[in-house]
Amino acid sequence: MSVIEELTAELAKLPGIGRKTATRLTYHLLKQPAATVTRLAETIRAVGERVHPCTVCGNLSEVEPCPICADPRRDGSVVCVVEEASDIGPIERTGAYRGLYHVLGGRLSPLDGVGPDDLRVDALRSRLGNGSHVREVILATNPSMEGEVTATFVRGVLAATGVRVTRIALGLPMGGELEYADGVTIARALAARREMGEG
Amino acid sequence: MLVSTPAIILHAFPYGDTSKIVRLATRDLGVQSVIAKGAVRPKSPFGARLQAMSEGTAHLYHRSHRDLQTLSAFDVTNQHASLAAEMRRYAAAAALAELVLRFAHEEPQPVVYDGLAGALAALSEVPSEAVPYAALAALWHEIVLLGFAPTVDACVRCRGTLADRTPFSLAEGGLLCARCGRGAGGGALRGDDRAALHAFAAGRWDAPPLPAPHLAAHRRLLVRFIQRHVADDRAMPALAFWEGLT
Ligand SMILES: [Zn+2]
Ligand SMILES: [Zn+2]
Repeated sequence: MSVIEELTAELAKLPGIGRKTATRLTYHLLKQPAATVTRLAETIRAVGERVHPCTVCGNLSEVEPCPICADPRRDGSVVCVVEEASDIGPIERTGAYRGLYHVLGGRLSPLDGVGPDDLRVDALRSRLGNGSHVREVILATNPSMEGEVTATFVRGVLAATGVRVTRIALGLPMGGELEYADGVTIARALAARREMGEG
Repeated sequence: MLVSTPAIILHAFPYGDTSKIVRLATRDLGVQSVIAKGAVRPKSPFGARLQAMSEGTAHLYHRSHRDLQTLSAFDVTNQHASLAAEMRRYAAAAALAELVLRFAHEEPQPVVYDGLAGALAALSEVPSEAVPYAALAALWHEIVLLGFAPTVDACVRCRGTLADRTPFSLAEGGLLCARCGRGAGGGALRGDDRAALHAFAAGRWDAPPLPAPHLAAHRRLLVRFIQRHVADDRAMPALAFWEGLT
């Protein structure tokens, strides 16, 4: 395989990029000055080497713990549980939330073989263990069928901890992804969160 | 050709930057894979409609020689949202969806579709204590409708009359009479357990109440039957997930 084919094949593995787009990107890069291509390559390498999940919350960060966990002004009594690290950005941008986060690393999806062991739920439970200041856990998984089931599951796991568990109010018709919701919607859903019963 | 058919979303996953691939059980066209273009975009007319287990009418551009059809619209009549409020309901529905996804055909199988729709309704609506029965009934009945029925009304080997205590032969896929069952390993079904198996295979969940260990044994029998006679030992992750929940 030539190096051109190799790059096209690598790009085609990325989400949202088919064979055609991958080829177009490859030839676009080939037309760029060497410095531009090198900078891109080095940034990709740096991301791979320097960015890691925060061992506390699972957020992606270059430092350990992540800036949110390390910030003394954040409210340590509230933890907001999200599916992916990419869900943190939209909530942060609302400016309406000052607590901490916990990234599950996915959502339950039995058909895809994603079960409870694939989510960082044990890590969440240990955060709520002895000496914890956490008084409330907000479940902000996506308002989809899988996101709702994941919230039900986490709620069940946390039942024994006695911590207050709430669910963001994204309401029916449920659907879509937190990632795509606008700031006003997210802020409103956070403010209107409600007590979650055991399922 | 634009076709409209009753349909249930079995599975949906993102495709490319903005689209979704949706696997549908349809009443008129069997199981179909469709692409919902732009479905992930915030202002998409599909909105939040493409959720697993949602039931409604699918409008799709259908060409018989194509593997991937194009979804034009999906009108939801029942989102089955209550499935998500209880793990056991959802897990059973996911196992059922997996069964239909894997073993239903691309040709119309209205009875398979109607069985699925009825089972999803039952799993959404039955009282909590009936969920384990509704789950067993949903899965056994769908197996029957898919054409893999176990033999439960006579001896699977000699068609002889069944005794009170009847072993289930996993290899042969049914109950054995006293003579054929002599020396057969494994547990035997008797009384209420056999009546329950009968009821489940007919899609009825109003079986006499069984003790928890018997229900667990029923789940085990069902899973082993599927692995052996339906799935040819291929992995069924949603089925395994359901069996693992107690
Ligand atoms: Zn952190
Ligand atoms: Zn016999």
